[in-house]
Amino acid sequence: MSQSKQQMFRLNTGGRIDRSRTLSFTFNGQRYQGHPGDTLASALLANGVDIVNRSFKYSRPRGIVAAGAEEPNAIVQLGSNEAAQVPNVRATQQALFDGLTACSTNGWPNVQRDLMGLVGKLGGQFMPPGFYYKTFMAPASMWLTYEKYIRKAAGLGRSPMEADPDSYDHFNQHCDVLVVGAGAAGLAAALAAARSGARVIVADEQEEMGGSLLASRETLEGKPADQWVARVLGELASYENVTLLPRTTANGYHDHNFVTLHERRTEHLGDTAPVENGHRQVRARLHRVRAGQVILSTGAHERPLVYAGNDVPGNLLAGAVSTYIRRYGVAPGRKLVLSTSNDYGYRAALDWKEAGCEVVAIVDAREAPAGDWVDAARAQGIKIITGSAVIEAKGSNRVTAARVAKIDIDAFKVSGPVQELACDTIASSGGYSPVIHLASHTGARPTWREDILGFVPGLVKGVQACGGAKGTYTLGDVLAEGVEAGIRAAATTGYTAQTVSLPSAERLQQGPAVALFQVPHEKSTLRGPKQFVDLQNDVTAAGIELATREGFESIEHIKRYTAMGFGTDQGKLGNINGMAIAARCLKRSIPEVGTTVFRPNYTPVTFGAIVGRHCRDLFDPERYTALHHWHVERGAEFEDVGQWKRPWYYPQKVNGKAETIQEAVARECLAVREKVGILDASTLGKIDIQGPDAREFLARVYTNKWEKLAVGKCRYGLMCKDDGMVTDDGVTSCLAENHFLMTTTTGGAAAILEWLELWHQTEWPELDVYFSSVTDHWATMTITGPEARKLLAEISDIDLDRDSFKFMDWRSGKVAGVPARVFRISFTGELTFEINVQANYAMHVWQTLFKHGEKYGLTPYGTETMHVLRAEKGFIIVGQETDGSVTPEDLGMQWAIGYDKPYSWIGKRALTRSDTKRENRKQLVGLRPKDPKVVLEEGAQIVLDPKHAIPMPMVGHVTSSYYSPILDSGFALAVVKGGHQRLGETVYLPMADGQTFEAEIVSTIFYDPKGERQNV
Amino acid sequence: MSNAATFDTRTDTAIPVESPLAYSYRRSGAPQAGGSSRLQLRERAMLGHLILRGGAIVLDEAVRDVLGLNLPGRPQTLVQDASGERSIQWLSPDEWLVIVPGGEEFPLETKLREHLGSAHFAISDVSGGQTLLEISGEAARELLMKTVIYDVHPSNFPVGKGVTTVFAKATTIIRRPSEDRWELVVRRSFADYCYRWLLDAGAEFGVNVQQ
Repeated sequence: MSQSKQQMFRLNTGGRIDRSRTLSFTFNGQRYQGHPGDTLASALLANGVDIVNRSFKYSRPRGIVAAGAEEPNAIVQLGSNEAAQVPNVRATQQALFDGLTACSTNGWPNVQRDLMGLVGKLGGQFMPPGFYYKTFMAPASMWLTYEKYIRKAAGLGRSPMEADPDSYDHFNQHCDVLVVGAGAAGLAAALAAARSGARVIVADEQEEMGGSLLASRETLEGKPADQWVARVLGELASYENVTLLPRTTANGYHDHNFVTLHERRTEHLGDTAPVENGHRQVRARLHRVRAGQVILSTGAHERPLVYAGNDVPGNLLAGAVSTYIRRYGVAPGRKLVLSTSNDYGYRAALDWKEAGCEVVAIVDAREAPAGDWVDAARAQGIKIITGSAVIEAKGSNRVTAARVAKIDIDAFKVSGPVQELACDTIASSGGYSPVIHLASHTGARPTWREDILGFVPGLVKGVQACGGAKGTYTLGDVLAEGVEAGIRAAATTGYTAQTVSLPSAERLQQGPAVALFQVPHEKSTLRGPKQFVDLQNDVTAAGIELATREGFESIEHIKRYTAMGFGTDQGKLGNINGMAIAARCLKRSIPEVGTTVFRPNYTPVTFGAIVGRHCRDLFDPERYTALHHWHVERGAEFEDVGQWKRPWYYPQKVNGKAETIQEAVARECLAVREKVGILDASTLGKIDIQGPDAREFLARVYTNKWEKLAVGKCRYGLMCKDDGMVTDDGVTSCLAENHFLMTTTTGGAAAILEWLELWHQTEWPELDVYFSSVTDHWATMTITGPEARKLLAEISDIDLDRDSFKFMDWRSGKVAGVPARVFRISFTGELTFEINVQANYAMHVWQTLFKHGEKYGLTPYGTETMHVLRAEKGFIIVGQETDGSVTPEDLGMQWAIGYDKPYSWIGKRALTRSDTKRENRKQLVGLRPKDPKVVLEEGAQIVLDPKHAIPMPMVGHVTSSYYSPILDSGFALAVVKGGHQRLGETVYLPMADGQTFEAEIVSTIFYDPKGERQNV
Repeated sequence: MSNAATFDTRTDTAIPVESPLAYSYRRSGAPQAGGSSRLQLRERAMLGHLILRGGAIVLDEAVRDVLGLNLPGRPQTLVQDASGERSIQWLSPDEWLVIVPGGEEFPLETKLREHLGSAHFAISDVSGGQTLLEISGEAARELLMKTVIYDVHPSNFPVGKGVTTVFAKATTIIRRPSEDRWELVVRRSFADYCYRWLLDAGAEFGVNVQQ
């Protein structure tokens, strides 16, 4: 078969692949073939691709090491076109699909012939740990230059330069029991929990659920283990209370059993998600799970042995060798040497032999290995070399031989002659490390168990670990633990568990493992060939030893100094070995060196999944008034005020050219001062206050007095926080004796309602009063200017006579046939009517006003004009003139403070402090630039002596500054130390460009100082 | 009497009104997925919405007499009349949302005020400030899972429940008046955001918008 010729390492039988169908794919520009069921990694191995990447720091050729999430080398860039680029994909986790295109993330110009390799080989000598810190930190100005090249050389992929065509979303999930990992333990736990009726979510990161059972040589009930897997999955799928999420990685375990799952929904199908029913399917989904109980059945990662040359392609984990043979039908070589410290490793040799390949030798670090698998190997006639280890792998682009010698583990030395065994593959097993990453995210410290030579997870409330994740590796025990965990989790969440009969597993005799992490070499660690601990970050045993010699004793410091376990790797293969080496160098035990901490995310999560649908026009809510589309059609420019979109100004076309903001604002300002303007003020917060104590409550939350405000009247109110600083202002109207309508600033509406509730519920529950937000119920249209009365009179039945409907009165009646409340309040200083109607009628009323308003020159104006007009009158804007450090007295608003009110009010105590009474506090004043053409910069600092040496003493700053069309001059509001006593003085504003502006301190009221215009 | 101002904001004349989604229909349209639709979305606009605040006992008496409905005393519950047109929902320990056919809210408020007399309570008309979106179809629950953080599984959200919760980056009141129907009460100013969100989240299921 030509096909098998291409896939020369593909076995003729076995594995969970579909040999009847062929998929083609491209890796680093070469076309290859594989089968459905393959991962990219298994397909590359089938095709004999040894080098899949270049290493991070030394640019050494690297091959596939593992078969799962722990793979450190086979990290690829995916995508057949620019928009589909995905960095940081582990080839071991990427299902093969037809047309898949991938390339190595490292290696320039390519992995086979790598220029960086030369640099690495030369430079490697000069790149000890801490190299970056030591070398590139100075001069600081050069860092940007260095960084560019370091990043390019470091690889790890790149982000796409074109927009992502795919969509991603979030799912809020809730369950009683979340099972993470669907191997033997997880499936048993899920089954037990599911049968109880509990809501169960099972998440598993692999293409198929079943974990190690999919490639196990062990049997359950005398049949291949995968048959039990299929039966359990069938049962789980039949339950309505169970959600099975394959291809879903639990990436982060957050507080209160909140777990984030990253589900890859279509990444096994193609570069971009397929289209169904005209809609592109969601490519990846982030499940935000709140779980009652979490069961961590995440299994264990095999630990490689650390020996010289252990990074040459052809060095694999023993378990990975078994997985490739049994699950993917690939033997990743021809001649195997196995180096092991335990019985489990033997399975790789047995599988290798059964696949028809040559096992050169098993090298066992133990003097007298004994157990069923050891016996099986002997029975197969496999040569076992005891008390020994592979001390060095020979070869550059592929393993060519293993150097094997007797070792003395306790003395950490080679204790016998070295023999060289020709081979192309070295499998190693140093035992297992439970996958404790998720448990570690919760902050719980893992504990070292000497009997299993591994850390087991520390557990917070509401979580259990079972199986490999807990350091239990015997299949029968794993299943029993799973069932037990499932039953306990269900019971804890209120369900009665049903019995689950365990499938019978083989009882295998196993011998004890020996603690071997780093294998000694004839040469010392620092002088011998490199022994890699963390392949992804190119951290060597020598690097760790050097770090300890340089005084780094805590594993946390060693990690940071060497970069061990950094980034996307998160120490899956290397951390424990690294700690063991540090412990050896420091002559301590592993737990004395410290524990190991992992952070989210377990494996990389695409940004799309993190963002979900919170992007583009759904990034943040846009709040619209009932008149929004009129503003849009009128061509308004919008300003964001909180989440509201408010019209900023309405540029008109003049001689075919759109007005600038300055032109538009000048026109709008003059229209209000000379004719009539209209503002959509619907965004102001409105709070309906009812109850017999409403008036008393107002007196306690506002600084000013409310006892005499009569029905039909309105009053401006100023609100302080308990620190005496202004926090909000607005007009409150008395609708009835027990009924008030409070308005707040647009941005403050929600916070002020909460503030009122807080004080009512915690401090003054005895006051009978209720608050409800009516902000959205009313649409507010402000007509203002000398012609306002005439305009309103045309369409309203309200008596608008100046003596019966006075300034600061409100009346109800009809406007344009719609019931309305009209308030005579003014933020412009002009004659103003604020018309409030139920929002559903707003458009009709607004349009009717325009129908009648044309002859009066009715002009819509936006927030910019509003700002200019109010500043001309010296009216403050909370948040512009105030910044949380400004008192009512600083604003010159003593008239709005009722120190003699019978009951205390919020802020009163603070306003009597010596600091708030201080004379030289920053106080609000007006500034008139000496040159009327100058518009001062908002935020500009004010000094008294411009010739003073730098740093000049700064006495204040500009809070608002505009050009006033009616005054034909720039003008500003500012806060100046002791400003109220400085009227008439000249101050200076030195600017960044070297200019210094002069201004005179004046009253804050620039226009109509007697306030006659609003009273007409 | 409660000595509060009442104000009928509606008018009988044929004055045009615009629902909170009027602009959204113009801008985003009203998609029709036809036969493949697994999701129906309908705005029930112009209903009467009142916020009742007060003690549960006095309010219960009043709404029984005036509206013929019990005040839902248990947190997070909803009661409706036989037609489903009138409902009262618990919002907080002293706060309920009453929804009635449009135009009934002012007579109802007046009658309640008469009945409640001098008791301490508050009634606020918010009819212009919110709208009701009805969601049905087999994908309704999945749509909600994408949208609200609250657990909408039937075991946690039976018929007759209602809660206030987070809607994407806004808030909503969500309730389940019947087995196959969900209702969202959204604020007018957020309605367009909510509508666009629901169309986007529902697109993969095929949305039919009934206007």
